[in-house]
Amino acid sequence: MLEINNLTVSFPVSHNHERAYQHPDQAPQNVQPEASASQLTVLNKVNLSVQTGEIWGIVGESGSGKSTLALTLMGMVGEALQQGSIKFKGQELLENSPRCWEKLRGSAISMVMQQSGEMLTPTLPLIDQIMEPYLKLYPRQKETAQRLGSQLLRRVGLDESYFYRYPHTLSGGEVQRALIAMALITDPELLILDEPVSSLDVRTKSDILNLLTEITAGRTVLVISHDLHTVKRLAHRTAVLYCGAILETGPAADCLQEPAHPYTRALVRAYPTLEGARELQGIRGEFPPLNQRPEGCPFHTRCTQSLDICSWQRPEPVEVGRTSLEHTSPIGNGRRQIACHRAGVLELLRCENVVQRYKLDKKQANSEPGNNYLEAVSGVSLTLREGEVYALVGESGSGKSTLGRILAGVDRPYRGEVFFQQQPLHKMFGAAKKEQSRNLQMLFQNSGEALSHRLNVHELVSEPLQIQKIGDPKSRQKAVRKALEWVNLPVTGHFLHEYPHHLSGGELQRVALARALVLEPKVLIADEPSASLDASVQAKIIKLLLHLQNERGFALILITHELALAAKAGDKVGVMYQGKIVEEGPPAKVLRYPQHWYTKTLTDTDTDRDLLIGDKTIPHPKSAG
Amino acid sequence: MRKRLGDYILAFLIIIMLNFFLPRLMPGDAISALYGDALMEMSPQTEAYLLERYGLDKPLGEQFGLYISNLAQGDLGYSYYFRAPVGQVLVGALPWTLSLIAISLLISALAGIIWGVEAAWRRGRKFDRASLVTIMLLNGVPGFVLGILLLLIFGFYMPWFPISGGASPYMDYSGWEQLWDYLQHLFLPALTLTLVQLPRNFMLMRSSLLAVKEKPYIYTARNKGLRDRMVRYRHAARSALAPVITRLGMSIGLLFTSVLFVEIIFAYPGLGNLFYLALQHHDYPTIHGCLLLITVCVLLFNLLADLLNQKIDPRLRELDARQLLERA
Ligand SMILES: Nc1ncnc2c1ncn2[C@@H]1O[C@H](COP(=O)(O)OP(=O)(O)OP(=O)(O)O)[C@@H](O)[C@H]1O
Ligand code: SF4
Ligand SMILES: [Mg+2]
Repeated sequence: MLEINNLTVSFPVSHNHERAYQHPDQAPQNVQPEASASQLTVLNKVNLSVQTGEIWGIVGESGSGKSTLALTLMGMVGEALQQGSIKFKGQELLENSPRCWEKLRGSAISMVMQQSGEMLTPTLPLIDQIMEPYLKLYPRQKETAQRLGSQLLRRVGLDESYFYRYPHTLSGGEVQRALIAMALITDPELLILDEPVSSLDVRTKSDILNLLTEITAGRTVLVISHDLHTVKRLAHRTAVLYCGAILETGPAADCLQEPAHPYTRALVRAYPTLEGARELQGIRGEFPPLNQRPEGCPFHTRCTQSLDICSWQRPEPVEVGRTSLEHTSPIGNGRRQIACHRAGVLELLRCENVVQRYKLDKKQANSEPGNNYLEAVSGVSLTLREGEVYALVGESGSGKSTLGRILAGVDRPYRGEVFFQQQPLHKMFGAAKKEQSRNLQMLFQNSGEALSHRLNVHELVSEPLQIQKIGDPKSRQKAVRKALEWVNLPVTGHFLHEYPHHLSGGELQRVALARALVLEPKVLIADEPSASLDASVQAKIIKLLLHLQNERGFALILITHELALAAKAGDKVGVMYQGKIVEEGPPAKVLRYPQHWYTKTLTDTDTDRDLLIGDKTIPHPKSAG
Repeated sequence: MRKRLGDYILAFLIIIMLNFFLPRLMPGDAISALYGDALMEMSPQTEAYLLERYGLDKPLGEQFGLYISNLAQGDLGYSYYFRAPVGQVLVGALPWTLSLIAISLLISALAGIIWGVEAAWRRGRKFDRASLVTIMLLNGVPGFVLGILLLLIFGFYMPWFPISGGASPYMDYSGWEQLWDYLQHLFLPALTLTLVQLPRNFMLMRSSLLAVKEKPYIYTARNKGLRDRMVRYRHAARSALAPVITRLGMSIGLLFTSVLFVEIIFAYPGLGNLFYLALQHHDYPTIHGCLLLITVCVLLFNLLADLLNQKIDPRLRELDARQLLERA
C-alpha cells in the first residue's frame, strides 16, 4: 500500500531552524536537486514497505527523524528538499501539487500529530473541529458529519457534554482522544499516529493505549514512538530509525525482545521496563546533532563493535535469521533486516556442552562408591554477545567459578568446546592465542586480596602489558594512568608507588579491575567482584563496573551469588544449579516468572530461602552425583 | 465578566468625581473656575442665578448631590459662548463624531486585519515586504499633514469632495440626496482617520498572527487537509483576533485626539471642533462637558471591545484579555 524508496529529506539551513508553517506554494522550486552544504539531512535514504492491514511501529531516539518521516508522508514539509519516492497505492506522492496534498490529507491519509501544546484551535467548539475533515470531503452533508462526529467522540470516550466545549477546557488526554476521533472521521486508508501517548500520564496512557488497540485493529497504521512499550503493544512490525536511517526492521516483538542490531540493542537496554529491576544504561556517547551526521553507518560513533569500514561505507540492509522468538503477528512474513557491516551484534563467546569434573580423593570417593569424580560443571551451553552483561547466579558450589575459569581459557574443560569469536578457545596457539588472552580477561574471586604484595600499584597494573609485551615503558605508563582513571583511582606519583597492604579493600579491588582493563579486553569475566567488600563499597564497585562496561563496550560475565544483583546488572541472567544452567532469560522474566523450582526458591524472600536451605530441601551438589 | 462590568462602573464614577472636584478644588471661588471669562459678560442676576442653580456657595457635599441630580437630568451647565445648555450643544455634535469614528474604525480595522493576515501568512516574501514598506511610509506621515494633503489633493486640485463642514448649508435635500451629501462630506475626514489608524491595526494583526501561525493547532488544521484559506481565516485569524481587538479598544482614547485635529482641519462639526472652539473661547462648561462625554465614549468603546472579544474568543470568558496578551 505504501512504498517508500530511498527517501531523503533535507531542510534548508537558512530558515533559522524554526519550524515555520510554510505556505504550500512556498516550496523551493528552484533548488538544485543535490544536497548542498546548506542542507541539513534529516532523513537519509529511507526504505519502507507497508502492506495493507499492517501496523508498523517506528522507533528511535528523539531527533532521529520520526516525525519528519510522518510529516513527509502528509506533505507537510513543503520547505524541505525531498528526494526518492513515496508510492501510495501506486501513486507517486512526491510529485503532488499542493492542491493534491490538500485533497489527500485528512481523507486517504490521516495523522494524529505529536502533542506539543495547543493542538486544537481555541476559538472553535470541539465538534466543529472534528467535523471539518468530513465537511471538506462532503461539504453538503452537515448532518452526517454531525452524526459521525458524535459517534466517534463517544467511541473515544467523550460524551455529549464534551461536544460543544472549547479546547482550553480539555485535559491533554481528552485532547488526544479528540484528535484520534478527528483522524478517524473520514475513515482513512492509512492512519499515522505520532507519539500517541507520550505526553500523557500513566493512567491516561494505558486508557488511550487500550483505545488505540481497539481502533487500529484491521487498519493500516504507522505508529511513531520512542516508547518501545507502545510499539510492542500496537505494532506488528517495527522499523528502527537512527539519524534518519533505518537500521533494523522486523516483527515488533522479535526486534524489541531479541534486538539484532547494535543500536536496537542499545535502545532496548536504555529503556526502562516497569517489570524489570534492571539498572538503566544510557547509550554511550551523544546523539549527533543534525549538522554533524556521521558518514557511513550512522551509529559508528557510538557502536562498541565498529570497524574501519563502518566510518565510511554505509551498510546495506540484509536479511538476518535471528528470530528465536515465535513471532505471532498475523500479517507480515517475519522477515527481519538489519543494516550492519558485522551482521548485527557479534557473538563473542560461546560454549557448548561444557563438562568439568574433578577427581575426588580417596576418602570422599569411598563415601560414594563407584564414583570417583565430582562433576562441577555438567553440560553448560551459553552465548555472550558483544556489549552484553551476562549475570551468572547460583549458590556457592554450583560451579560458577569453575565455568568462569573455563570460559576465560584458564582451565581446560573435560568435555565440550568453547569458542571465542567463533574460534575454538582451547585450540589456539601463537598469535591467535596471544590476541585471545589479551581480549579475554578474568577478574578472579578475591583478586584484590590476591595481588602480590611485593609490587606497587604501577607495577601491578602494568604487569599484564609487560607479560603480553605490549608497548614501551612510556606508552605503558600512559595506559596505566588511563586504566587507573577509568576506575576512579588517583594517578599521583605517590599513589602509583603505594604497596597493596597500604590500600583499602575497595581500592585494592579497583586496582585489580584496572589490571584487568589495562589490556582493553573485549570480554571480562568478573567472579564475585565485590563479595568480600562491605555493602557501600560493593555498590560502588558494581556501579563502576557497569558504567565502564557501558562506556568501554566490553562484554561482561558477572558471577555472583545474589539474584538481586544479577537482576539489576544483567541483560541476561543465567541461574546455575548443580553444575547446570537451569534457567536463562532477561532479568524481568526470570524474576517474575521463574520456571525452575530452584529459581522460585531464590525469588522468594531471603528468609524463606534460608529456611529452605536450612531444611536441606535443596540437596547439596557435592552429595549428588 | 461581572467583575469587568464592575471595573467599568468604578471607572465611570471616578470620572464623574474628577469632573466635579477638579474645578472646584482650584484656588479661587468655584464660579469663576467654572465659568471663567464668561463671568465678565454676565449680569449679576445671572451670576446669582447660577450660584443658586448649582448651589455653588453651598458646602461641597450638597453641591455634589445637586451635581449628580443635574447630571441625571442631562444638565451639564450653560454655555455662554454658544448661548445654549451644554447638553444640547454636545448632543448636536456627537452624531458627527460618532459616525466619523465608527466608519473609520470599522474600515481601518477590517482593512488592517485582512492586510495583516495576508502579509503575515507570506512572512518575508515580496508581498509582506512591500506591505511593510508602505505601512512604514504611511506611519511616518503625521496625521495632520496627511489630512492637509488629502484636503489639498482632493479638495483643491481635484475638487471631488467638499472641503469643510458636515453637510452643504442652506440646501434642502431630501432622503437619499441628504445621505449622499453627508457621505461626501464624511469621506475625506473619515479617510484621513482610517489612514491614521491603519498602520497600527496592520502591525497589530500581523504580529498577532505571526505568533498564532506557529501554534500547533495551525498544523493540526492543515494536517487534516483544510483549504489554505480556511486555515488562514477560520483557524488562524480568528484565534489571533482577541489581542488585536483589546488593543483597539485600549487605543480609542488616542483615536479621539486624532478626531480633534481631523475635525479642525476639515471644519467638521463634531465634538473635536466643539472642544477646540470652547478652548479658544474659554468656555469652561462646554470643555468639561466634552471631556466627560469623551471619557464616557472611551469607556463604552472599551466595553464594546470586551464584549466582542468574548464572543469571538471563548478563552476570554474566563481569562482576562491582558493575560492573553501576555501569553501570546
Ligand atoms: N522544518 C525543519 N527545519 C529544520 N530542521 C528540522 C525541521 N523539522 C525537523 N528538523 C530537525 O530534524 C530532526 C528530526 O526531527 P523530528 O521531529 O523528525 O524528530 P523525532 O524523531 O520525531 O523526535 P521526537 O522523538 O523528539 O519527536 C531534528 O534535529 C529537528 O531539529
Ligand atoms: S558494526 Fe559497524 S555497521 Fe554495525 S552498527 Fe556498528 S558501526 Fe554500524
Ligand atoms: Mg517526533
